[in-house]
Amino acid sequence: MFTRTDDKITSTQASIFLTDAVLGAGILTLPRGVTEIVKTPDVWLSILFGGVVIILVVFIMTKLSQQFVGKTVFQYAKRIVGRIPGGILTSLLVIYFIVICGFEVRVLAEVTMYFLLEGTPIWGILMPFIWVSSYLILGGINSIARVFQIIFPISIFILIIAYILSTRIFDINNLRPVLSNGIMPVFSGLKSTILVYTGCEVVMVLVAHMQHPKQAVRAMITGISIPLTLYFITVVMVIGGMSVDAVQRSTWPTIDLLRSFEIAGLFFERFEFPFLVIWMMQLFCNFTSFFYSSSLGISQIFGLPFRSTVFGLMPVLFLAASIPQRINDVFSLGDYIGYASLGMFVLVPVLLSIVLLIRKKGLKQHV
Amino acid sequence: MYRGNQIKVGSALLLSACLLSGCWSSKEIEDQAIYTGLALDVGTEDKEKIKQMEQLGSPPMENVLTGTIQIVPQKSFGSRGNASSNQQKPYVNSVQSGNSVFEIMRMYSLIRDRPVIGHHLKVIVLSTDLLKKYAIDQLLDFTLRDNDIRPSCLVFLARGQAAEAMTMNQPADVPSFHIKDMERNRFRNNKIMKGITLTNLNALMNTKQSYILQTIASVKGKDEFYGAGIIKGKTGKWIGNLDSNDVASISWIRGTGQGGLIKTLDERDQIITYEIKSMKSKIIPKVKGDSVSFHVEIKSKGRLIENWDAEQNFSKVPYLKAAEKRFERKLASEIQTILDKMQSRYKVDVSGFGKQLSLSHPQVWKKVKDDWDDVFSRSSVTFTIDLTITDYGSSTG
Repeated sequence: MFTRTDDKITSTQASIFLTDAVLGAGILTLPRGVTEIVKTPDVWLSILFGGVVIILVVFIMTKLSQQFVGKTVFQYAKRIVGRIPGGILTSLLVIYFIVICGFEVRVLAEVTMYFLLEGTPIWGILMPFIWVSSYLILGGINSIARVFQIIFPISIFILIIAYILSTRIFDINNLRPVLSNGIMPVFSGLKSTILVYTGCEVVMVLVAHMQHPKQAVRAMITGISIPLTLYFITVVMVIGGMSVDAVQRSTWPTIDLLRSFEIAGLFFERFEFPFLVIWMMQLFCNFTSFFYSSSLGISQIFGLPFRSTVFGLMPVLFLAASIPQRINDVFSLGDYIGYASLGMFVLVPVLLSIVLLIRKKGLKQHV
Repeated sequence: MYRGNQIKVGSALLLSACLLSGCWSSKEIEDQAIYTGLALDVGTEDKEKIKQMEQLGSPPMENVLTGTIQIVPQKSFGSRGNASSNQQKPYVNSVQSGNSVFEIMRMYSLIRDRPVIGHHLKVIVLSTDLLKKYAIDQLLDFTLRDNDIRPSCLVFLARGQAAEAMTMNQPADVPSFHIKDMERNRFRNNKIMKGITLTNLNALMNTKQSYILQTIASVKGKDEFYGAGIIKGKTGKWIGNLDSNDVASISWIRGTGQGGLIKTLDERDQIITYEIKSMKSKIIPKVKGDSVSFHVEIKSKGRLIENWDAEQNFSKVPYLKAAEKRFERKLASEIQTILDKMQSRYKVDVSGFGKQLSLSHPQVWKKVKDDWDDVFSRSSVTFTIDLTITDYGSSTG
């Protein structure tokens, strides 16, 4: 009854797609990553400022994509800067997506192996994940969006419940004093907060698939605001519940927050297990959106059939996830991805927009 | 077409048979030994054991610490139907010595048939003797890293042997559960501190400021919360004990108490008792140049709950006011005692003055936090107490 032939998604689906692409492993590591740099309880301010910056970024990307209705960045980059430079730029973007894929699925495997399935080999977690994801991707963007629509409310519900329950150890004094060291630490934390929004580049793929591209700006800004809000709540609850001092000493602060209390009498006594199980589904969405974007990218840049690129990418993703040796390598990979996202932003949307503006307004060319 | 479908269905069934057959890492709970309590003591020299081990050719043993774990239920099967058997305790304590906590944990595998798992560890008790030698960071490092042990586990100190806190002469009780549940009586008595979890402790250790942990005393085979032990922030070691009244006074200074009482004598030397219904406190730091001083405002509402003086009638306001003054005086002397103990005897701040300074004067705090204990012991602390007896129960006598 929902079968569609045009393989387009509605604006709501596009919003959820973007939310799922951004909301991933960051929620597990973000509180520590930012607190380590800021070192005061003002972390939540950094998240808010970072969010404002990212909304601007998403706005630029959407506006750029709206200029070429029905075309993804992999297609219109060639038209703006020419075949070869466009190909190189978008290939970088594809590599970037592949690395994120590897990172997300690796964080999932690390957390699962430590807290849930002690003894399961890493390939036993990675491989089913990649298989199921590729099966979904072969169904096209519409199937992906529909799966996301199912998973999204469940994962958000469990997340919110977990945070509500953690109010029992929440202490507002852990979030005080505000701005004790001035505004500078907040800005230094900005760098690492922007990192958690990595993945918003899928906007440049998403807009092309929207049924009503005119609604793209609103849909995309909604899509990025949801993770922004959730990240904000996460940081407030984790620091309020554990204090800055404990967060700095915890490898997985969000999980430790949920491990810090027990609720007798409720259906679950310990909330880290439902949270982790549900978050696996969320990470699956996250992984799928990048897997989809990268395989779509390769097939469009090099003119290859989509099915073959999906199958071809499977071993590559597995290798990308297996490369980091130590947990430090995983975390520093996360940092590199963050820096790369800044580079990607300057290289792809900004550069393309400027060239487009010059050619359209300056040289009066028809692109 | 038909043949193709058959192959598809067959392979799908085969695949689901592999995938649905169960969890890769599943472990039966019956095959595990769940420990709910952990006690760490100074290593004991078991001469007999050392001798036997040396005969077996073991290298000389260095027993820095002794760990006692409390395993429940001892056996989920066995002598249940046997009514004639003398009452068995529902737990078993297992003792091992070594010089690393993890080493001790794995030693249990050498002597027990089932592996011990820490998913349900509720209580950790550390002996103060051990904390004189080693920092609390060192002793608890393993428990914070381990993936099974949850950071919601409560940490206490023991007066005397920590292992004794894990034994009780009440047959039906499991001491570790007993201790955990006793902490919930906080609403009845402010001599019980809010339980410090591993997460709280992790933060306390990271701030490098001094703090107190509730101590458990084993009195005639029963566990009892009695006072608290002071951990010096800089070293992480135990430096002294506070008694029960001190713990209550600290709850007054911090305003964290939820219940309890003040007992004093009226003018005819008869006992009168005040039941705390609410308490509030405000620590106001004052900074003048380099000197820091504090003023504490304590406010409380309560009930006159016990009166041994037959000649006194408390239903009249002037008498109530007079009684309030007596309670205030009593409380003031208690608070003065703990302030003297903190400032002169131990030279530490364990009642939240530093935290309050860091909230209201973050810049000043940054300068003094590295030797806060010294700065605090030199700073002056004043306080005012305002008690209100709102009612006198269901008897007007």
